[in-house]
Amino acid sequence: MTIPATWEPLTAADPVLTIAQDLFSTMIDGEPGHLYPWMGENPPLEDPRYAWVDVSGPVVTRVMLMAGRATGEQLTRALLQMDDSEAVSDADFADAVGEIANVVGGNVKSLVTNPGALTLPVVTHEEPDMSKAFCLLETYFGWKGAPLGVGLWALAS
Amino acid sequence: MKALVIDDSRVMRRIVSNILVEVGFETIEAENGRVALDQLESHGDVSLCCIDWNMPVMTGFEFVVETRKHPEWRNVTLMMITTEGEQDQIVRALAAGAHEYVIKPFTPEVIVDKLQFLGLVDVKESV
Repeated sequence: MTIPATWEPLTAADPVLTIAQDLFSTMIDGEPGHLYPWMGENPPLEDPRYAWVDVSGPVVTRVMLMAGRATGEQLTRALLQMDDSEAVSDADFADAVGEIANVVGGNVKSLVTNPGALTLPVVTHEEPDMSKAFCLLETYFGWKGAPLGVGLWALAS
Repeated sequence: MKALVIDDSRVMRRIVSNILVEVGFETIEAENGRVALDQLESHGDVSLCCIDWNMPVMTGFEFVVETRKHPEWRNVTLMMITTEGEQDQIVRALAAGAHEYVIKPFTPEVIVDKLQFLGLVDVKESV
């Protein structure tokens, strides 16, 4: 018998904000208060990058982080405790931003019933084709004055 | 004491290693369970493994199961550090032989508290 995943707990109370704030306060900023909901229209991202993990199962669901390159570099420096002047390699960038997507995705997965396995993170410069996906949630945050987004999509199987 | 940090993310390996070094561990690293088994064989003095779940080649769960087949490694403490937070996953890992379970994201204090509980770090040491 196939039991579909249930996503209502996610769309009902925006727990993505709670998950993201928990992640940023513990592992990126070292204190709460630096990540906040973005007010107004969804902002454009400068030189955007996309990092996502998929939750497999009856409904394949994608959890995607969206951030500009410069913001991603700041996140990488914060995670690795690098100086602001240090250059961020592409490998460290992909690793750090991918791990952020992985942590958000894993925590999202734990909130739903009957999830499948979590895939390894993917980080790209090109926006993935989501034309056949159903957007469950897309929300933006501000961090150090820059926007970053988190989206949740159900993918067509 | 020597700790083996197993995670396919170099960033996460570095974060966990830094915490462990702060409380007196020497650390070595592996990017998946298969490499970690090789490390355990070549380093006979590993007392702690910090293990991610989702990794290519061999997952952390498979590593725990494989490690527990070897009597010579039964004194190695296994601590999962993973995004897999569902209750059944935690139960699976503990039943397979993991001693502790930490869900990402975490603070250094959480890791140190677990190590103190396991008797691997003196209570007075902190990060």
